[in-house]
Amino acid sequence: MSDIAVKPGRHREATLYHALHGAGAGDGRPLAQLREAALAAYESLPLPVWRRSGFWTTSLQSLDLDALEVRHHSPGPQAIPAVVGETLPDRERAGRIVQLDGSVVHVELSPELAERGVILCSLEDAAREHPELFTRWYSKRLVYERHKLEAANAAFWSGGVFLHVPAGLAIAEPFEIVYTIGEAGTAQYGRTLIVGEPAADFRVHEYDLAENFAGQALHANAFELYLQDGARCRLAQVQDWSAGTEIFDASTRFVGVGRDAHCHWLPALLGGHLVHQHLELAVSEPGGDMAFRGIFFAEAQELLDVFAVDLHETGPSGGDVHWRGAATGQSRASFEGLIQIDPGAQQTHTYLQIHSLMLSPKARIDAIPSVLVSADDVSASHGGTVGELDEDVIFYMQSRGLDRASAVRVIVEGFFEPLVSQLQDEPLEEVVRAKLAAKLARAGDFIEEYAKSR
Amino acid sequence: MADLEIRNLHVRIEEREILRGVDLTIDRGEVHALMGPNGSGKSTLANTLLGHPSYEVTEGSIVFKGEDITEAEAHERAKAGLFLAFQYPVAIPGVSVANFLRMAINAKREDPIQVKEFREQLRHAIELLDVDRSFTSRHLNDGFSGGEKKRAEILQMAMLKPDIAILDETDSGLDIDALRTVAEGVDKLHSEQGLGALIITHYQRILHYIKPQFVHIMLDGRIVLEGGVELVERLEREGYDEIRREFGAHV
Repeated sequence: MSDIAVKPGRHREATLYHALHGAGAGDGRPLAQLREAALAAYESLPLPVWRRSGFWTTSLQSLDLDALEVRHHSPGPQAIPAVVGETLPDRERAGRIVQLDGSVVHVELSPELAERGVILCSLEDAAREHPELFTRWYSKRLVYERHKLEAANAAFWSGGVFLHVPAGLAIAEPFEIVYTIGEAGTAQYGRTLIVGEPAADFRVHEYDLAENFAGQALHANAFELYLQDGARCRLAQVQDWSAGTEIFDASTRFVGVGRDAHCHWLPALLGGHLVHQHLELAVSEPGGDMAFRGIFFAEAQELLDVFAVDLHETGPSGGDVHWRGAATGQSRASFEGLIQIDPGAQQTHTYLQIHSLMLSPKARIDAIPSVLVSADDVSASHGGTVGELDEDVIFYMQSRGLDRASAVRVIVEGFFEPLVSQLQDEPLEEVVRAKLAAKLARAGDFIEEYAKSR
Repeated sequence: MADLEIRNLHVRIEEREILRGVDLTIDRGEVHALMGPNGSGKSTLANTLLGHPSYEVTEGSIVFKGEDITEAEAHERAKAGLFLAFQYPVAIPGVSVANFLRMAINAKREDPIQVKEFREQLRHAIELLDVDRSFTSRHLNDGFSGGEKKRAEILQMAMLKPDIAILDETDSGLDIDALRTVAEGVDKLHSEQGLGALIITHYQRILHYIKPQFVHIMLDGRIVLEGGVELVERLEREGYDEIRREFGAHV
């Protein structure tokens, strides 16, 4: 390979992204200093363009960043946008925090949990009121200099979410985190920091939602979750930036799994004009285990670019990555999945599978699994399928009385159901199922066109 | 007028004519057997009757309960009371047998079926088909054995209560016990609900359990011989070759 001449600036690689892999920028440095360094990076970096051979390009250059501003709001129930009430299930919960644009407008925490030491507050408040915890964990594994929007987040973040679950506390009901954008012209730099102390056991449901509006907006999020020894977390994310809005989402999410800890992580990426997600789940200490699930469904003109990392820094450890995605309309989706096993991470066993379902002749899904292994006593493999609607299956269902649209819905629901049911939370499952059904209903014409084109 | 009337049916698939003028009438309460060697057009007839989009009717008509359904979509035919038990049932991952049945039943009704009524019907059908109760919570045909798939077909038939059912080689690939269960299930639906059935088969053995009143022999896309159960015995004696010599010489 080394003797192949590559024209400068035109080099493309089969895989586009790299794991964060290593210490973050935090390292106990004061927040002001980190913001300052990030600002310098922000000012020197252009808007990102990512290119991979095979002609995949994710470009944020059509984002008019200068026209966006961080908007602030006074807290209170009147500030919570309607979309929150319309989307979130009415249910028992451990707590809820809502950020609108640049401000946290609502925080609630079960008094009993507050008494037992749970902290749920804005990250701004955490920096002031819990400086030791904040400094210890903030940006422990996240960096700020890889691209302009990452730097923008580290420099400008406001509001934000801090959740701290004390040792040994098991909480059945979920903490709900909501990021919502209310109007065009908004830049939202959200930042979430969650720490589960040893043997804590809890659930987090994040919702990324927007009102329906015309015009650009930005959500650049940084998310970090650290699970200490024996902690367990079921983390789910429902992202739906509303069909038709022009929202750009460039976010980085990191989950660190400590000794004998366990994380079940399921992002459901269900919409956005342009969505770029770096999702990294790292098993950092022996005995850590994770299940990394994911759903995506791109429609209309959407572009979705997901990079999912299953990183094993020590062994023995376990991993299980299973993603399912569909695309309709003229949407494009790229899923790059990486298993990375570091030197010394012996006795790691992990598997990555990605299944995609094409629902339109003009849609496209690129699924690129890869494996980087630097230890010899491990097992790591990947697999996947690319499917389309099977006319024989549709006919079978039609012969039982279901019309064509219902048959397609059953197939698509059945395709996602193995992962949706793994949310193991009925109200959340219903939210995801309803969103999948709504996307399908909007995609009807394309699905018919696809059937006729074959 | 018979419940199902097939008149001079010509069908092609991808430019190749498979059915070349089929006439057949079936009434509720009648059991017909359609026999013929592989490639004679039996499955094409079955799929065409339910409206598979790959099969093109170039001539002739299908009339069901007085309505011309030649161009109707598959789900409309199903709602009207036709049923096809598939030769090779496909898997529907992620959808349990019970959920699928509920959807199919509700597709035929104005108001969704009551939970209690559904359960009662399901229990009855499970007993009829001698399947395990856990069967209905499995994903339809997903990882099912050949015998389980065929039982699932008949279970659906029992629940959907069609007027006329076409059983496309339901007997193939079944061991003798499964064959008996499936055949007894069909027989019971015939005697209890007045089901009319077109049993398509290559072999004779299922007809030892279900006695047809009418037997039709298909060769090269046409029904060449019709009669009663004595035809089955003749086939057992002579095989298809003899019949082909008699009727198929010109093709």
